[in-house]
Amino acid sequence: MIDPLSPTTGIGSSPGVLPMAPSLGVRNAARTPAAGSASADFGAVLGRMITDTADVLRTAEATSIMGVKGQASVQEVVESVLAAEQTLQAAIAIRDKVVAAYLELSRMAI
Amino acid sequence: MIDPLQVSLKIAASGLQVQSKRLRVVSENLANAQSTGRTPGADPYTRKTISFETEVDRITGANFVRIDSIERDRAPYRIEHDPGHPAADENGFVKLPNVNILVEMADMREANRSYEANLQVIKQAREMISMTIDLLRNSS
Repeated sequence: MIDPLSPTTGIGSSPGVLPMAPSLGVRNAARTPAAGSASADFGAVLGRMITDTADVLRTAEATSIMGVKGQASVQEVVESVLAAEQTLQAAIAIRDKVVAAYLELSRMAI
Repeated sequence: MIDPLQVSLKIAASGLQVQSKRLRVVSENLANAQSTGRTPGADPYTRKTISFETEVDRITGANFVRIDSIERDRAPYRIEHDPGHPAADENGFVKLPNVNILVEMADMREANRSYEANLQVIKQAREMISMTIDLLRNSS
């Protein structure tokens, strides 16, 4: 259990992936052998994360434009842009983590 | 989802907002410190005062701050003898605003300090969030 990619634990129970992607945990229960479903889930997780981040970024952009027009205060603009920055950083960190775990899996000797 | 750090950011933002409104009131008072009436015996500009109150956010339960009210200072006007002034009454006295520049400057400084304090809270909270996110990054 300590080594996430130890051959005895197998793909599905890799702890490197599970805590970050609950949907992968569901797949673990079903334990389907198809690699395609793994990539679909993986993509879905990433996609959802990126959609959320894009929403925050869009809000920040809209607020910035309103700020330029003089309809939003400087505080509101700064607040939303900083929130977007932080969300983006978190998303990138999580993505890096998930991609690293995925690469680890793909490097596993068969 | 109630992240205390995010809530502190919001609370500090409400603090920033009320302090900037306070500065607006101060600037109005300062700018109008010499504004008199137009007609003989008319009242001049009246100093504005601002007060704050606590606002409980229903979702987070946090205590935000908001403007309670902006009211007029009921202190008496200053009176000056200036018979040539358009607002002078029959005895030649002109009513000047009840604005004390020193008080306004002190108020402005206080607004500035409070604003800084709230900014510091935002900085700190952001730093804590960033440090936590960095945990994800450095361990890989």
